Amino acid sequence: MTVAGADTDRPPSGRRERPPDHLRIVSLPAQGQDAKTAMVTGDDRTRFAQVVLPHLGDAYALARWITGNRADAEDVVQDACLRAFRAIRGYADGSARAWVLTIVRNTAYTWLAKNRPAAEVAMDDLEAVETAQAVSGDAEAMTPEATLIAEADAARLTAAIAALPTPFREALVLRDVQGLGYREIAEVTGVPIGTVMSRLARGRGRLIATIGRKDA
Amino acid sequence: MTRSMSPEDPKLLVHAYLDGELDPANALAVEQRIAADPALAAECRRVEALQQLLRERLPRETPSPALRARIEAAVGMRRPRAQPSWRALAASIAVTAVLASGTTFLALAPQPTDEVREAVVAAHIRALMAPQPIDVASSDRHTVKPWFNGRIPQAPRVIDLAKADFPLVGGRLDVVGRKAVPTLVYRHRQHLISLVELPAAEGTSSGPSLRTAGGYNVLRWSADGVAYWAVSDVGAADLRQFADLFRTAQPDQ
Repeated sequence: MTVAGADTDRPPSGRRERPPDHLRIVSLPAQGQDAKTAMVTGDDRTRFAQVVLPHLGDAYALARWITGNRADAEDVVQDACLRAFRAIRGYADGSARAWVLTIVRNTAYTWLAKNRPAAEVAMDDLEAVETAQAVSGDAEAMTPEATLIAEADAARLTAAIAALPTPFREALVLRDVQGLGYREIAEVTGVPIGTVMSRLARGRGRLIATIGRKDA
Repeated sequence: MTRSMSPEDPKLLVHAYLDGELDPANALAVEQRIAADPALAAECRRVEALQQLLRERLPRETPSPALRARIEAAVGMRRPRAQPSWRALAASIAVTAVLASGTTFLALAPQPTDEVREAVVAAHIRALMAPQPIDVASSDRHTVKPWFNGRIPQAPRVIDLAKADFPLVGGRLDVVGRKAVPTLVYRHRQHLISLVELPAAEGTSSGPSLRTAGGYNVLRWSADGVAYWAVSDVGAADLRQFADLFRTAQPDQ
């Protein structure tokens, strides 16, 4: 289905002076306009298939690492995909993956706030965490040898990532698991690149300290 | 990355270097610092070891095929679970009305029936989407039939089958092969049936033939120069019954 010309074509002046109200409310917005009022068209679906579906794996992986389990991750991804579908006309240019992951991330945190209000570290607390980290640097005080790091097994690695504070975890997952660049991570997480760098370094530092511990 | 970064922590630069985020000049500078500073060199080795570990040993998280199917269904790319609703129908009417407005109906060039089938099924699925609350409905064929006037020159055959438990619920314009075509919508219990009427060669007449596409039953027949495509998730027997009723009904006008 094409929407070309939808704005310029006028209904032929027929026996009705004007179309009935239920027909007049229709306006197909151009790209970038508020898509919330838009009707769904086949183009939306095509675009969704091109923009969103290729990143379903990344979307799921991110949701999985944020929520911590499969079932919740799938709920989040499905919800996020519906949001992305409704907003698909708002996607213009840039990294489709970053756009999708941004929606997934926001959806995941909304979901967590609703379903696990007590368990999650509030984002406000994060600055405190980061500041404390920056001051004491205790987690990074222990600096195991690289050879020790290489011995960690999958279960231990997974547990160590899961134990990271959320902002560190998401930065690390986006970079080291999903391979996003700093700029994309900044876009997805809504913080400056400098903050991305600092979170990433601290997340890695904690991870290295945890998995490098011999008795852990 | 060409911007100068606050170098309060040279470790950050090591991470950025390993991540390939530094421009050549900065990368060279960091390489030199690493070479000169054993602590930075150790950090570099640790991060490299960690990255290798994450690459090689971390289990990949992949979504289940069921998730993808659910999502595709939810956005109407597959058979959705949603109940058909008036809103969906109304939205579809509104969208297609705009798309078709001002266009001239032309006889369709013959096209492969597979493409037509895909188009009518897609149009039906669109009708099941419910993005907008719009108030439009008519079970009166004397309302539905004139509705097409002025939108397309073709006057669709509209039959009221309410007595046979196939009440007419409205009409819409669909686009098949880039042409606006009339579609009638009937309800059978909780299911909607889309009946698309396409122009066919004069004198064409053929009995119903049933196919499935995307989980929908699609029944096609033609009569008097019109090819009818009925799409629904009702059972094949119900759809055949609908087609038989429609074909044999006497237009009383």
